[in-house]
Amino acid sequence: MKRRQALHTLASAAAALPLLRVPLEADLSAEALAKVDELTSDQAFVLRDVAATVLPSAIGRKGQDEAVDNFLRWIRDYKEGVPLSHGYGEPRLVKSGPSPAPGYAKQIAALQAAAKAKGGRFGALTLVDRRALLDEAFTAADVRNLPGRPDGKHVVADLMAHYFRSSGANDLCYNARIGRQTYRAIRVTTVRPQPLSR
Amino acid sequence: MPVHESDICVIGGGITAAMLVERLAELKPGLRITVVEAGRSIFDRDNRGTYRRRALEYGEHPWPDDYIEDQQAKGMISMTMAVGGQALHWGGACNRFSEEDLRLKSLYGLSDDWPLEWAELERWYVEAERRLNVAGDPSPYPEDRRSGPYPQPAMPLSYNLQVLKKWAEQSGLKFSPLPLSRNIDKPFGGRGACGLYDTCDVCPTGAKYSPDYTYQQLIAAKKVTLHDRMLVRKLVLNDGRDTIAAAQGYHQDRPNDVTEYRARLFVLASGQCWSPHVLLLSANSRFPNGLANRSGLVGRYMNGHKFISAQATIDEQTFPGQNMTHSLISREYFRCATNTPFVRHDTRVWDSSAGKEPRLRAADGRLLLGDELLDEWRSRALKGSAVRLRAYYDTHPSADSRLTLDPTSKNRYGDPMPKIDRQLDAAAAAREGATLAHCTEVFERMAKASNGRLVSKPVNSNYWDHPAGGCRMGTTPATSVCDSYGRTHDHENLFVIGAPTLPTGGCTNGTLTFVALSLRSAEGVASALTN
Repeated sequence: MKRRQALHTLASAAAALPLLRVPLEADLSAEALAKVDELTSDQAFVLRDVAATVLPSAIGRKGQDEAVDNFLRWIRDYKEGVPLSHGYGEPRLVKSGPSPAPGYAKQIAALQAAAKAKGGRFGALTLVDRRALLDEAFTAADVRNLPGRPDGKHVVADLMAHYFRSSGANDLCYNARIGRQTYRAIRVTTVRPQPLSR
Repeated sequence: MPVHESDICVIGGGITAAMLVERLAELKPGLRITVVEAGRSIFDRDNRGTYRRRALEYGEHPWPDDYIEDQQAKGMISMTMAVGGQALHWGGACNRFSEEDLRLKSLYGLSDDWPLEWAELERWYVEAERRLNVAGDPSPYPEDRRSGPYPQPAMPLSYNLQVLKKWAEQSGLKFSPLPLSRNIDKPFGGRGACGLYDTCDVCPTGAKYSPDYTYQQLIAAKKVTLHDRMLVRKLVLNDGRDTIAAAQGYHQDRPNDVTEYRARLFVLASGQCWSPHVLLLSANSRFPNGLANRSGLVGRYMNGHKFISAQATIDEQTFPGQNMTHSLISREYFRCATNTPFVRHDTRVWDSSAGKEPRLRAADGRLLLGDELLDEWRSRALKGSAVRLRAYYDTHPSADSRLTLDPTSKNRYGDPMPKIDRQLDAAAAAREGATLAHCTEVFERMAKASNGRLVSKPVNSNYWDHPAGGCRMGTTPATSVCDSYGRTHDHENLFVIGAPTLPTGGCTNGTLTFVALSLRSAEGVASALTN
């Protein structure tokens, strides 16, 4: 994103309630504006390492990598200062907040450092240690439940939300070809959905 | 000052204006019709797939810039102001009211009767359903007789709704698929067939009726001139006469320049909020309380209906995500015996995923990761089903259920914005508790049929849905703003159409009724031009 555009959209976001509850004063700083809006390949590598723990094994390593790729695409395509759904009943104007990418980068770095202090890369730690690291990180970021969609509080919780709230995860949970929010012929929905294994 | 002349000037570009213009163009070919809309045209259909995707992934609003930030009302339930209006993102529900809605006073001694007969309105329902290509099945209740069939059979029920219908009917109520304005299996009206995208608020194929299609077709056929982004702030009278001479509009890009719209006849089609608002703003020395307001009733009897919601769980297994925009409706309680306490409501059933969403922590607070999270999710999701229940109930407004001009909130021109404060009349307020108790009993009876239970206490809504009123129709100038065609009693060349004209708001979705009345108003407008 060009600097002028970033200034404009961040200024718009400052006038509205941010989707991502990142303090606006921090994100309007020169340091924040200098950040890129994508994660680096090294940071993506860490996410792939974490994905093996936080995403289901049923989708396989390939499926976990795809989930990370989809999340990286989500980060890259994020737009700041865009009006969010007004709602109905008690509508209000809310705009999307600053890109979560800078915050994510810091969280990944912190996770790497914490893992190193415990003896190595995240995926090589015991499950007890991995859970403890994430529990501590989520608590510090005030992540109490899986967000409805990524909300910028913590990169790992957002990766999990991006996958577990997907149509594919819904199918996996029910072991059924439901295809929520995908194109389907109406007749397909009039019968009990077929199991995934068929 | 730019002056634009036409035979008819329609102020407001929503669904009722679209239907009115379409009908007028048939009745009077060659008529010069201008539609003036404050919001913008969003005709970029090619982008709807992208808007939909971003709405799902990021929560972005799928209709960019469909609002005017300083043109908002307190008490309004949607911010949308664009060509197509709120029907750009409606669900397409096309329920009819029932005869009781038109005879509340004569049957029950409550509120008011409407100034037209049911048989007359029913005829226009058929016409509205034809134009909206409504998919529906005949009601299982014989009182819901129809003079013509639905244009399409009902949307086929998903497996989930088939399960829920079987469950819900054990209560003794009869349920039908919700009638929908949606092209089920083939294109109609220049719009595609349904692809079950589950996002009716932005339909990628146009299967759901959306007025923007109608406007584009009318414009292409040169049957209408559309001036969008043009806010009408005032209607002005002819010198020494009570007829409307012009509407004064201000374009968003030229806020200091007035454009004058002159016409033989004016139609206010700006909905229940902005129609009474512009009448009140148009006050002058001869009409100090606003135009069409000798009765003092403009902005009064603001109505709609409240609703009661509940969640239930039942034993049967369903698969959330099959077709979550469809639902079941029972019209069991549209009728109420005259010798029992008054309660009228529809009864609606949706499949739901409430309580069956993935969670980050177990009940004991332990963080769940990967397979653990999936296992815990499955342990809840595969155990029975969640069901969403709702009843829109018949609530009647008092005269003090009002839209007023709010001096504390002004737009860029300094015009006071509307403030809507809906109030029940005394009888409706007195029966709130009994209505809640009745609906709770109905919901509990339904839940019990399958070892089910309500998971939360039903509550009355804190807002009125499907809002209407503000320019009520009636038979006399002392008790109403307009006649049953929407012609105002005070100005022979000024009509108000659609939602504002309803004396009461019924107990189910209102759009089909707004459209039916507007199609009927087209006859009145055409007749007024002839005469």
